[in-house]
Formats: sequence, C-alpha cells, structure tokens
Amino acid sequence: MLVVETDGSGLARCVDPDGNATDVMTDLVGEVAPGEALLVHAGTALTRAA
Amino acid sequence: MKYVDEYRDAELGRVLASEIVATVVPGRHYKIMEVCGGHTHTIYKHGVDDLLPENVELVHGPGCPVCVIPMGRVDDGIAIARRQEVILTCFGDMMRVPGGSGSFLEAKAENADIRMVYSPLDALRIARENPDREVVFFAVGFETTAPSTALTLKRAKADGVPNFTVVSNHVTIVPPLRALLESPDLRLDGFIGPGHVSTVVGARPFEFIPADYNRPVVISGFEPLDLLQSVHMVLAQLAEGRCEVENQYSRVVPYEGNPAALAVLREVFELRPHFEWRGLGFISHSGLKLSEAYRDYDAELRFGVPGVRVADPKACQCGEVLKGVIKPWECKVFGTACTPERPIGTCMVSSEGACAAYYNYGRFARAREVV
Repeated sequence: MLVVETDGSGLARCVDPDGNATDVMTDLVGEVAPGEALLVHAGTALTRAA
Repeated sequence: MKYVDEYRDAELGRVLASEIVATVVPGRHYKIMEVCGGHTHTIYKHGVDDLLPENVELVHGPGCPVCVIPMGRVDDGIAIARRQEVILTCFGDMMRVPGGSGSFLEAKAENADIRMVYSPLDALRIARENPDREVVFFAVGFETTAPSTALTLKRAKADGVPNFTVVSNHVTIVPPLRALLESPDLRLDGFIGPGHVSTVVGARPFEFIPADYNRPVVISGFEPLDLLQSVHMVLAQLAEGRCEVENQYSRVVPYEGNPAALAVLREVFELRPHFEWRGLGFISHSGLKLSEAYRDYDAELRFGVPGVRVADPKACQCGEVLKGVIKPWECKVFGTACTPERPIGTCMVSSEGACAAYYNYGRFARAREVV
C-alpha cells in the first residue's frame, strides 16, 4: 500500500492498488512518509517495500 | 504495477521452468510442501504447477489460519456473540467457517450482532463508537497477523478503552511443521517457507528443519516467478547435496525478522500449553493467549466460553488436506457436498484454503498427481 498521509500517532492513511484507503498502524516500521510503499497485513505495516 | 508485473513475466517463467527440468533427476519423485495458503493460491491461479516436470509434486501445508480453526473455537465465538451486550467482530474469512452449532453467518442471521472488519483496529474503532456495548475481536492468524492484534490491544490499554476484548486464536508456525516432520505418513523432500510470517519471525526459526530433519527450506515470495525460483532453489539444494534455509523473498524478509514485532508479541501474548488444530489435533506450545498484563482484555476470561471439543464431520477430510496427505480433489465431498457456497470443511471456506484454490481455479482432478 502507498502512504498518502501521516498523523504522527503511529497511524498512516494508505491506499491499495485499487485506490481503497484505510488507516494503517506503522509502529513496526518506524516513521513513514507520503509516497512510501508498505507491506501491510491486517491493518499493520510489517515492512517497507524495498 | 510495480512489485507485481516484474514477477509475472512469462518469458522468465519459461526460463526458470527449463532450469527446473535441468535440475531434477529423471525417475526420482520430489515432494515439496508449500507451507502457506497464499502460495497455494498463486500456484493454481497462475498455473505454476503446469510448468513443473511430472516428477515434481507440490504438497499443500497447514499455513491457512482460518483452515486450522477447530469447530469448538467457532462455537466459543458464537456463544459470546449471542450475548445481548456483545458485538463480535472478525475477518470476513471467518464468517462461513462451520462450527458444531453453525457458523458466524448463521448466528448473525439469527440476530447475533456479528460484524466483519478489515483489521483489529477497526474493531477497536467500533468499541469507541459503542461505549455501551462489549466489542469482542475474534482473532485468528499466524505470526503475520498477531502483531496487529497486539498493537491494537496496546492502543486499547493505553487509551483505557474498557469495552474491547479479544478471543485469541493466534497460532505459531513452527510447532505444526515439526509435527508434520514427525508424521510417519508423509515423506517430504523440502519446504517452501512462508513469506509473510517470515517478515515477522525471520528465517532463523526454520533452521531446525535442515538441522534436525535434513530437509531444505526456501522462504518464498507470492508471485509466480517467486515460486518457480523457490522450487528451483529447493531442487538445486537437493541436487548439490546442500541442506539449509535460503531466503528467496529477501526484498521483504530480513533474516532476523522484525524485532519490533517480536517484542510486541512477547509483551502481549504468551504460549498456551497446547492448542487444538483442525486435522492435526493438539500441538504443544502452538497457540497464543493474552499475557497476564493483558488479562483484562481477554474475552475468554471476561465472558467464559463453553470450550467444548467438537469432532469434525466424518465426510470432511480437511485434516488430511492440511497435512498434505491427500489432494483436495481426493476428498469424498470436494466439489459435490462441499463447495465455497456451502462449505463443510474450513479448507473450502478461506481465501487461503487449498480446497477453495482447487475449486476456484478448476482443478477438480489431475491424473498426473496419482503417483
């Protein structure tokens, strides 16, 4: 999923390839920025896409 | 699409297939287990097995978290959901999983307040929006999903949300693999290791397979070329007399996993002494319950559950499918009494179930699999 917005509280607004947006917990990958690609499972980012 | 198209290149697939053919020894039969249900679906969706030589057989493993939920746990969830004050939340896959007294979907039709959620965080949001109700998340999944439940519980505790609890059905992947390797009725030559579980636990937990059982493991990604390359890597180890854990999915999986995820798992969960797996029976130290620090968020303690063990229907052979002993189409009820619309067994329900993969991609029988 692609990060579109962050709120500084460990949550990021992300969109999937179909454009669906959802909140994602980013506690496990550290600070993220808009435009970054994340591997997300069940609402949690597990890793950044290399 | 980046991260997808480059791993579906047909020409590269043919090159890998020819390398696989060049690696195998004619006359030797190879059995390789893909542990993860996501791999099973890729294999049949993209016809990966059609590119393999006839003497390379892919065997489907127990890595579909919904498939391994025993019927009694579904009944426990329904018992909680029938309470007036409760909103039970779960992933969509769980809705049609049969228990001894029906499914969540049937309970919902009988007025139990059961809602599908995308993530445990959605369940916590429902709890915040309904302070006069008890919101329970019916958690399933391996180490891939458990961190999400753990992080959500940490948020609930930090924010003091009193009406949110979890039924933990989280399981761990290593104990069932060891049980399979100890099983006398299954001879395997190697493993395609689970990609997304390994983003959390890393590759190291699988080192016991080459060390103790002399079988190679290749942790794999989920696109067709990932799987073809992983099959080739397993076969190359066998051909060269090597036996180790290799990481094909290095673009995502660090060898040591995700330390932050492992830390939150250790904080929020502890191992149950034993946990029942559908088809595999009770396996020691294979299930996760909430730790003492989070006992106030344990729905099993707050509400109590029947905890009754329910035997699988006699006609259902999900157990044999989950152990890789039979192929889905060899089950007596596959595609007849058991279909995705009216499933008898869990493997036909889940989007990661082997039976659902075979059914959805038209694999009703394959002569070459009768060896």
